[in-house]
Amino acid sequence: MVKKGVSRLYLALIFCFLYLPIAVLVVLSFNRSKSHVVWTGFTLDWYAECFRNQNIMSAFATTLEITFAAAVLSTIIGTLAAIGISAMKRRSRTIYLGATNIPLLNADIVTGISMMLLFVRFTNLGFVTVLIAHITFNIPYVILNVLPRLKQASRYTYEAALDLGAGPLYAFFKVTWPEILPGVFSGFLMAVTMSLDDFSITYFTKGAGINTLSTMLYAELRKGIRPELYALSTVLFFTVLLLLIAINLNSDKTPAPAAGKAVANKGAGLPDAPRPNGTAKQFVSSAKTRRAFYAKRAVCAVILVSLAVGSLAVLFSASPLISGGQTITVLNYGQYFDEDALRRFEEETGIRVNYEEYDDPEEMYTKYKAGAIDYDVICTSEYMIEKLIQEGEVLELDFSAIPNYAALDPNIIEMTSSYDPEHKYTVPYFYGTLGILYNTKLVDAEDVKSWDCLWNGKYAGSMIMTRSVRDAFAPALITLGYSINDTDKDHLLEALEILKDQNPDVSAYYVDETRDEMIAENAAIGVCYSGDAGEAMAENENLAYSIPEEGSNLWIDSWFMPKTCKNQEAVFRFLDYVCRDDVAQANFDYVYYTSPNRSVAAGMDAETRENEAVNPSEETIRRCEVFRALSDESAGLYNTLWQELISN
Amino acid sequence: MNKLKKQLLAGPYLVWIIGFILLPFLMIVYYAFTNADGGFTMEYLAAVLDANNRKALFLSLELGVICTVLCLLISYPLAMILNGMNIKNQSLVVFLFMLPMWMNFMLRILAWKLLLSKNGVINSFLSLFGFPGVYILNTPAAVVFGMVYDFLPFMLLPVYNSMTRIRKDWLEAAQDLGAGHLAIFFKIILPLTVSGIISGVVMVFVPSLTSFAISEVLGGGKVLLIGNIIEQDFMQGMQWNAGSGLSLVLMVFVIISMALMNLFDKEGEGTAIW
Repeated sequence: MVKKGVSRLYLALIFCFLYLPIAVLVVLSFNRSKSHVVWTGFTLDWYAECFRNQNIMSAFATTLEITFAAAVLSTIIGTLAAIGISAMKRRSRTIYLGATNIPLLNADIVTGISMMLLFVRFTNLGFVTVLIAHITFNIPYVILNVLPRLKQASRYTYEAALDLGAGPLYAFFKVTWPEILPGVFSGFLMAVTMSLDDFSITYFTKGAGINTLSTMLYAELRKGIRPELYALSTVLFFTVLLLLIAINLNSDKTPAPAAGKAVANKGAGLPDAPRPNGTAKQFVSSAKTRRAFYAKRAVCAVILVSLAVGSLAVLFSASPLISGGQTITVLNYGQYFDEDALRRFEEETGIRVNYEEYDDPEEMYTKYKAGAIDYDVICTSEYMIEKLIQEGEVLELDFSAIPNYAALDPNIIEMTSSYDPEHKYTVPYFYGTLGILYNTKLVDAEDVKSWDCLWNGKYAGSMIMTRSVRDAFAPALITLGYSINDTDKDHLLEALEILKDQNPDVSAYYVDETRDEMIAENAAIGVCYSGDAGEAMAENENLAYSIPEEGSNLWIDSWFMPKTCKNQEAVFRFLDYVCRDDVAQANFDYVYYTSPNRSVAAGMDAETRENEAVNPSEETIRRCEVFRALSDESAGLYNTLWQELISN
Repeated sequence: MNKLKKQLLAGPYLVWIIGFILLPFLMIVYYAFTNADGGFTMEYLAAVLDANNRKALFLSLELGVICTVLCLLISYPLAMILNGMNIKNQSLVVFLFMLPMWMNFMLRILAWKLLLSKNGVINSFLSLFGFPGVYILNTPAAVVFGMVYDFLPFMLLPVYNSMTRIRKDWLEAAQDLGAGHLAIFFKIILPLTVSGIISGVVMVFVPSLTSFAISEVLGGGKVLLIGNIIEQDFMQGMQWNAGSGLSLVLMVFVIISMALMNLFDKEGEGTAIW
């Protein structure tokens, strides 16, 4: 009796462990509040938002397209291959099955990288590369499902058909095909499931503007959490739940398969897989558990997908397919362009935008240099543009084709002189400062007037530092009395030392997440950019922003046209659009950094204009320093030191 | 003749194997053994001994082992209880324990981030009753938490499957012959589930060793695993040769665990995963 009680308790505990996170997502999907983990009232808005959100829906559509195309193609190739392999002699069969095992056994990250290396060498990354990668890891599942069926299929019946005058094809379709069909079908379903859930391999092989649900979620998770995603997850979960229960109840009425069969397999109503023999035995049987495991998941995936097709139809009728075929590929920081404004550009000009995002300038540089995607226009930070101009990667702009450039403040254009002295390469987009966002309830305003507060131990465990490598070193360099452009190795090592001392006190290194963490009051101090601070202050009145008196980094993000640009005219139209007053205003409202458009500052109320986080004063700008380009060697040093810091 | 024709059907797949399995693998090998100028070098393989990489590799191994052990410790009793349950709808109960797996992998991690954050759900709940809070987000513990949550079913299923194959009469026979509970467990149940355990171990260990997304999200940039270094080498540092070198090293560990599994699974028992 006691034993039974203990068992029950154990089951209940594990059950809670498994379902608590899901319950949280479900509850939050109905919560009115956006950033806080506090209940502020019931709403269904996020569900409406979720289906209206073009990013989510297009990621959903891409996921389905890739999944289906990959599953169909891999089923065809895999089934043919299985037929071929079954006719082979032992030796070549072993070789084939060995090769089949590679994508199955290997770590996802290695498979993804190896494919990326291949694709980058011979072609550009895009939809097709993801598709090829998915087909590659899907084929083994098809083969391993079909092969045992072929083994089981009686050769004598087939030969009898031939003896009775049937052609080989006719005999195959009349005799063998019906026998292997269940295997083909479950192979297909497995392929669907594997594709639907894949993250790592897609992540490394996807091109600009291509996002599946998994990769989109990964990017969103780093940026901050949006309640639409809770809604999406709730919808997906309950769809699957209902389907699974339906299937389960249904299959219980049919005679139970052989005892000891995997439960998952039974529930899916799949026929009992035959026990293979011969050399293929080990490979096939070994894939069985995994197969059983995914089989049920696959069935509902298919039904889920067919349900989704309906919503897709709605989606496609809602977004007019843009004709004319002009496309530009834009690379920009994450959350750095108003989505509606981007949509309006497409509608106004008929130019389709492939929009791709990145987190920090070093990542941008890697993406660009990798050459896997031909970008037409890129927005990034001053020091990275300086480096690219030095490397001869930047094309001159034709400002006569960008009439709205005149709307920008000449003083701001002057600030770009450090990297574009003749003002012929760049269009400034936003500027701002690096500073300290702090919670006035927890932090003494006197403390944050100096960077020292990051080292005085008072806010241990409650500090968020930035993980953008150069900005991470900037406070340390300033505190030590060095320039933020110092590249002296000893000085950097000194900076590393004090950053290491600080490391145990730091609760996390974030970039885009800092804002949400500060709003949720998960930390007292967050080193972040002025725009994030401004937005956070608007959400939580306990927050304030300080630019320490020792000075800080003043950054300017600008647009430039790289050598890979294929459609200059369209880029000029895009830049002209970006500089237009209403678009600048929309983007300002969205990102909350300081806009070089004069009209934006003119339209602010007095309080906003005084806010240093939104609009740094001239005095502040004088105190700050602009980053200069680093040599490859210095950049590499920064990288190594950074890794040393976080592996501390 | 007919056989030969049939074999030709594997042709497209042969092309695929060469183009998209062997060639990519050779690319990694090529990058791992050459420097940026294309000259031969061993430096990137040797780089695994650098302080940063070594630390990350050890941390990955450590977290991978902890995660695997935890999964086993949780799954084994669970599988026993589930298997011993004498109710009509056993499959439905087992299914309930598998259900969270059907959620998108990323969403499950996201949920833990929400739960574990400083002012998150768990801490709000604890403080309601005056208990001290749990502050493990952005530490290796949180990463292990996420891994265990994500990979638990990979362990539970093979162990449970191997357990369902143990026939009740064997246990009864042992009992009749005077074996105690402990003897039955160690002499019958455990040996008969070894192959399930081994496949579960490999199935959990390989992804937890090579994961980079979980540590990225739950580690707050403070937990650097070997997967994260490889990811950064490729996506940020533009150091493809270094990343390839580390990938090759990682494959060695994967192969070792596979070999280990094959050793215990000679007869292709059917509970193996791969």
